[in-house]
Amino acid sequence: MKRHNPMNIKRLMLICALLLCIPFMASTRAGAVPTATPSDASGWFVDLNRFSESAHRNFTCEVCHGDMRVQGQPHPDTRDTARLKREATRIYDYRRCGTCHRESYERYLRGSHAKALIEEKKATASKVLVADKLKAPTCGECHSAHYSRSHLSRAATGQEMTAACGACHPAQKATYLENYHGKVAVHLRDEASAYCTDCHGAHDCVSLKDRKAALAACQRCHPDAGERFAQFVIHPTTEGLAQDNKEKQKHVAIIKLVTVIMTIIVILVVGFFYGHSFLWLLRELHERLRKH
Amino acid sequence: MTEENSQQEMVIRFSVLQRLLHIIVMVGFTGLALTGFSLKFSAQWWASGFVWLIGGAGHLAYLHRFFAVITYACVMAHILWLIYYKLVLKRSLTGPQSLFPRVKDVKDLLGHLRYFFGRGRLPSFNRFTYWEKFDYLAIFLGMNTMGLTGLILWAPEFFSRLMPGYFINLAQVLHLYEAILAVALKFVVHLISAHLRPEIFPIEKSIFTGRTNREKIMREHPGEWEDIVTTSESAAPGSGSQTS
Repeated sequence: MKRHNPMNIKRLMLICALLLCIPFMASTRAGAVPTATPSDASGWFVDLNRFSESAHRNFTCEVCHGDMRVQGQPHPDTRDTARLKREATRIYDYRRCGTCHRESYERYLRGSHAKALIEEKKATASKVLVADKLKAPTCGECHSAHYSRSHLSRAATGQEMTAACGACHPAQKATYLENYHGKVAVHLRDEASAYCTDCHGAHDCVSLKDRKAALAACQRCHPDAGERFAQFVIHPTTEGLAQDNKEKQKHVAIIKLVTVIMTIIVILVVGFFYGHSFLWLLRELHERLRKH
Repeated sequence: MTEENSQQEMVIRFSVLQRLLHIIVMVGFTGLALTGFSLKFSAQWWASGFVWLIGGAGHLAYLHRFFAVITYACVMAHILWLIYYKLVLKRSLTGPQSLFPRVKDVKDLLGHLRYFFGRGRLPSFNRFTYWEKFDYLAIFLGMNTMGLTGLILWAPEFFSRLMPGYFINLAQVLHLYEAILAVALKFVVHLISAHLRPEIFPIEKSIFTGRTNREKIMREHPGEWEDIVTTSESAAPGSGSQTS
């Protein structure tokens, strides 16, 4: 029987070891979550190619924008030049969405986004400037009437939703994607997992500060969940967390502390043993070469 | 040394149970690492690609738990063996040739480090060197803590009745960082120290065949050879070759 040259086998093993390293060479990227936000798409200009594939493709412009003619104003309105300088999503009368999407619109009115919009209007009336990030969303901030498609799969809707919600709640998006729910739902596209609205509601957008509401949300998928189950922190971040929520502040602080301690332990132990192995390899290689 | 001679000098280093447990833990640990990190790094193409290959997140969860069960079954089998070894065979679990950490291990570590810098000879290791004890104890203790945090994550509904809900978060953090620690040590440090360093490269067969020989023991574990010689001198001949 032909004997293999041990050098060739060693070389082959080295190549195999290098090949096994390839997956770890990929640079870290934030994930395949689309970053385009629908509010970009709710501007003054409409791309008719994309519009022709949207859910509203069979509508004429007047179905949604007919009020100008109804009010007897010419279009384009040459007298009101300031109009075009304002954001389209802030001046469109979204009550018109409610004529078809009644359920969604009524839920929106009951929810926290609509309340925030009322607060914002009060603030602008009293000339207090509102930071862009704090702007309360209208329909058009989350949905694109011109480009949103219909009959998307749950996973595809979830991908879009993560980007849309994450535009204003980046810390919540990041922590959700660090959580099992987000990893399984968004990255692995498993529709059995929970997307943003599965817990927070699609148009009510509840913050789930209320313990009972949070538990009810958990129990939709975890029927055996007890009262303390809802203390599980899905978004371990203090960003956007109410100042008076001392209990959750404490929990988030403990979670962060344990993370820091574990990171230090891992770095120290791994650092020591990697250094140890490296020195050992150098010494044994030296012993080998010396014998030649 | 001729073939016949080395046959005579053959010594059993690992029992059938130990070899079997090593193989099952090896497969189980690799499976756990692969399935676990595929979830942790699911944003990476290789992780989501692997999950796609095995048929989705549901299969991933099932496989992770399957590997966890077979790996922890090995820990249980090993604990039963330790009880039998101590109570029925009435042998020592803490003696100088055991895996129990001793002061000599610290001295051996310091002596070994001196040897790395060319400032001393290789220490006279006993049956288990300090890095072998570390490898063993790290996985033995680690499997128990990983098993505990893993169990909490397996049944959070049940465990959140016993402890505050944010303990599930803590279990998650501990499970992740210990996994990183274990993978960083086992797949690099253990492979180098047990298999890949030039003295042994490419593989240490004794953990798979159970066999080693006199020459190897005298080179790698001189303290053990002295022990074998003294016990076989005091006891009946041929009874002291296995000290496990």
